[in-house]
Amino acid sequence: MLMFGRRRLAGLAMAFATLVPFVARADDADQAEKFIGKLLKDLSAVVNDGKPVDAQKAAMRQIVFDAVDVDGVARFCLGRFWRTATPQQQKEYTEIFRNVMVSNITSKVGEYQGVSFAMGKAQARAEEIAVGSIVNRPGNAPNKVDWLVAIVGGKPKVIDVIAEGTSLRLTQRSDYGAFLARNNNDVQALIDALKKQALAAN
Amino acid sequence: MHPRFHACFAAAALVAGLGLVGCATPPPADDPDAVAEYKQTNDPLEPGNRVIYAINDGLDRAILRPVAEGYNYALAPGVRSHIHNLLDNLGNPVVLMNDVLQGKPKRAGDTLMRLVLNTTIGVGGFFDVATGWGWPVHDADLGMTFAVWGAPDGPFLMLPIFGPSNPRDGIGMAGDMMAAPTGYLPKGLENNVFSYSKTALGVVDARAGVIDDLDKINAQALDPYATIRSLWRQHRQSQIDEAKMPETLTPPAAWGGSK
Repeated sequence: MLMFGRRRLAGLAMAFATLVPFVARADDADQAEKFIGKLLKDLSAVVNDGKPVDAQKAAMRQIVFDAVDVDGVARFCLGRFWRTATPQQQKEYTEIFRNVMVSNITSKVGEYQGVSFAMGKAQARAEEIAVGSIVNRPGNAPNKVDWLVAIVGGKPKVIDVIAEGTSLRLTQRSDYGAFLARNNNDVQALIDALKKQALAAN
Repeated sequence: MHPRFHACFAAAALVAGLGLVGCATPPPADDPDAVAEYKQTNDPLEPGNRVIYAINDGLDRAILRPVAEGYNYALAPGVRSHIHNLLDNLGNPVVLMNDVLQGKPKRAGDTLMRLVLNTTIGVGGFFDVATGWGWPVHDADLGMTFAVWGAPDGPFLMLPIFGPSNPRDGIGMAGDMMAAPTGYLPKGLENNVFSYSKTALGVVDARAGVIDDLDKINAQALDPYATIRSLWRQHRQSQIDEAKMPETLTPPAAWGGSK
């Protein structure tokens, strides 16, 4: 097992439903900081490259899929209902979640023109690393945005974005939770609503 | 009647009204996950809150959003940011009061310098010169002050017109309005016009600033009410956490210190 290295082991632990608590260490923080630095550079390059919107969207989609632990975020957002969903529903939900998340992120790509980022410090927490940044958009007050990074499968991945103190995945989870509460906790109803939303967005 | 009294009446009417609409049914005790979620959301008055939210949302779609859109359309971004600065400066005395009440000398100093510099060199607040010189803006209100003192927030409340709140922050908002120095101008037509214009402009400025965000929520959330509730509560908590953080006193950037 030693030849796997510590990071790979930590990654495996994450992959196995975080049964083994993952402890972020100093070199993980370094790695996370470099990872977010590159991600922000890539993102601002795409939104400011002046290419047609469709090309920008495609490029951004690729960046998001590479950088974000989409499946993990999907599971998190379903919360306690992940356990009550059937394997078929889990699969269907994860798939539709990927589509909706990416189309939500890329839908307003034109609005991000002129955006620039200033990197802050990385801070190791119990189970993840928070990397701070300031997002500047022309005509808007600077926004404080923290990127939560975990080592998933040996690689740093974004697991949450915290804008001005509001966590994207927590907000999403309470949206889904409220929807489910009003629809008899029926995961299928959620999947159908997300499908409808994806159709409307395309 | 003065606008700040309107606000108090609105808040009182709302609390009375909510009592009539009824409470959410707590989940059965043998479902610990559901109970945890119920506690975490902290919204026992949800049915009543949703009614108020629907009314607010209707008013917003019919009046406020179109006005805010017109405002964004009619005025150049530069002009809007001058107006925003002006309103921000008019709010500084209340921010200062709360910085002091929270026992935060550094933040109080920031606010005092902002008030002095922006009122004088910034021509009554039209220009925010203080931020660039090392006295950045921060939030402080009476609800936060109560929280710093250890007051609990109480259940989530959707206030008519004012939107997301809770008893602690609702009372704080009424207190801030009564403390605002613009409320103590001598009576007279000009001052009334000034007071009402400031209130109206404040509402439009605030709404215009979140047009894109709210549009996005309405388009992308399955349950916009729950999404707004979650966003507001998280944002509020982060403001309070920031206000609770111990201060390290440093000279301002303009004097060679680091912020």
